[in-house]
Amino acid sequence: MLSTLQPPRSLTLLPFRRFHGSKTIASLASSSPTLDASSVSPPQSQILTTRRSLLSGETTASEIAKSYLSRIRLTEPQLKCFLHVSENVLKEAQEIDQRISRGEGVGPLAGVVIGVKDNICTEGMPSTAASRILEHYRPPFDATAVKKIKEMGGIVVGKTNMDEFGMGSTTEASAFQVTANPWDLTRVPGGSSGGSAAAVAANQCMVSLGSDTGGSVRQPASFCGVVGLKPTYGRVSRFGLMAYASSLDVIGCFGSTVADAGMLLHAVSGYDRFDSTSSKQDVPEFESQSLSMDSFESKPLKGVRVGLIRETLEEGVDSGVRSATQEAASHLEALGCLVTEVSLPSFSLGLPAYYVIASSESSSNLSRYDGVRYGNQVMADELNKLYECSRGQGFGGEVKMRILMGTYALSAGYYDAYYKRAQQVRTLIRKDFKAALDHNDILISPAAPSAAYKIGEKKDDPLAMYAGDIMTVNVNLAGLPAIVLPCGLVEGGPSGLPVGLQMIGAAFDEETLLKVGHIFEQTLKGSGFVPPTLPNVA
Amino acid sequence: MATRALLAVVTASPPRMIQIKASTFSSSLKFQRHITTIGRCFSSDTNPSVLQPPDVSRLAETARISLTPSEIEECGAKIRQVIDWFGQLQQVDVSSVEPAIRAEMEGGNLREDAPETFENRESIRASIPSFDEVYLKVPKVLNKE
Repeated sequence: MLSTLQPPRSLTLLPFRRFHGSKTIASLASSSPTLDASSVSPPQSQILTTRRSLLSGETTASEIAKSYLSRIRLTEPQLKCFLHVSENVLKEAQEIDQRISRGEGVGPLAGVVIGVKDNICTEGMPSTAASRILEHYRPPFDATAVKKIKEMGGIVVGKTNMDEFGMGSTTEASAFQVTANPWDLTRVPGGSSGGSAAAVAANQCMVSLGSDTGGSVRQPASFCGVVGLKPTYGRVSRFGLMAYASSLDVIGCFGSTVADAGMLLHAVSGYDRFDSTSSKQDVPEFESQSLSMDSFESKPLKGVRVGLIRETLEEGVDSGVRSATQEAASHLEALGCLVTEVSLPSFSLGLPAYYVIASSESSSNLSRYDGVRYGNQVMADELNKLYECSRGQGFGGEVKMRILMGTYALSAGYYDAYYKRAQQVRTLIRKDFKAALDHNDILISPAAPSAAYKIGEKKDDPLAMYAGDIMTVNVNLAGLPAIVLPCGLVEGGPSGLPVGLQMIGAAFDEETLLKVGHIFEQTLKGSGFVPPTLPNVA
Repeated sequence: MATRALLAVVTASPPRMIQIKASTFSSSLKFQRHITTIGRCFSSDTNPSVLQPPDVSRLAETARISLTPSEIEECGAKIRQVIDWFGQLQQVDVSSVEPAIRAEMEGGNLREDAPETFENRESIRASIPSFDEVYLKVPKVLNKE
């Protein structure tokens, strides 16, 4: 299964041409990041910067909060990342300032401005999963992840836009608004956590929470040029995350740096008695991974074995994405990694298996939205009619489609053919990953076959949209952790479009992902993936 | 629905391959070609001809979702396309492969079967669309045939 690439000091010397057929590798120069003269230094952790400047008195939480609220006000008309902006931001910031001035301790996330995807329950703030059926719904409790953020002093600035109930890859399936990609307002931010990714990219918040069932954190991270971290299944409690597919869903983190995503993950991780699928595994101190540049030796990743997944570089993947991935592999090699190719034979089966499992589980999970206990109700003279009309009018087209597909796949007589079979394919996929990760510390691949595409381009062709998930779904089926970080730009938009590198780790090994990701990011030349300034905004 | 499926099993005609229409796929799905090199064996426990195409109206009734006639048509076409595509799973040899319910799980995460009172009942009540002190109001249930 493993094929070693021969003698290379640098991967660029290798005959990668065999993957391209008659095409030549796209000019490497065209995919190198735009050098912004003012940001030649590597990106800084916003969480650590905030903590330092608050404790040193350099600034106050109120000042920080005001500047973010003002940036949100200025940019929202064009971006539309938020479905709701909190009314308590300044009040919460003031409370932090008061505690600091009284010499009282504040939590590690004090003053950090955080966006939360709208399928994660926030008490007293609308939580709609971007669906009409939950329009105006205010949950009576906070999700465990939100509760932990608040306990640590984090400020939830608002609820971000998403594809309805997590079903989609573009955020176009929101019942309320379409979010624009900050790199090009005519393009999608990805999905389903498009609002969370775009908000961090546009600096409307420092970090944000999303959810990842089939790639919904990693693909928008790639499209928006930010870091997206999907933890191991069970690492973060799902209590308060509106369930889409219970065996696949996880809450994930967005940040502008690997360090920030890691620190946010640390804050929300841990066993929760309210989620019986949450793991009792120890949560390592992810913060210690954010070493400063000075402490790097010349080959800081010496001995780290990296497996490049062969099936992710074949036909169907944009040439720009392929080159960016290959360059990223070279960069890892230069840092001391041993990069070889691996094959996951069951790779392409992941996509249909995923959609069978996800739609089946969603048909069951979404049966609770019946207009009786919460959400929008359409009154009728008979109970079944009330259910049918409330759901028929409350759910969007994609949601209805997936529920019906799931209903079909789970029907008596069909269960073996679809759901059970997909579960068996899942076992095959898990075995392939395990075998590859027995010989490698991490695996790498692109996060998506292309950079962000235009709004409306894939809306009417479900299979074309599903095809874009090919790089990400297998990781959910196997329950493994993965991080996506920006590694290059391709042509498109006013200043190019970002492309992300996906790194996949062994179960509960987020530490290795964060260590490798952090060093990769800090040593990437021309780093600083900042989208162009929005027109009409200072 | 269950009875109908059983009847289908009893009257099954000899198995035939599910045709995956190549023209349905957009070019970005070219790498789906892989699957033809993976296990050409038919699993013996599934008879493909049992799988009737989806009847969208019946499914909508089962899922308690009302669809307009145009939605039935539009939705129906897309659903049939996707379910056809699911068909490729039939070609994988899964004999003696255990189904994986989810990722590796630790056992023993059970709790006591003891009710706990939720303090914020007011907030729950505030979300109920039709509430009549203590009762959630719903219309009557008509007996179907």
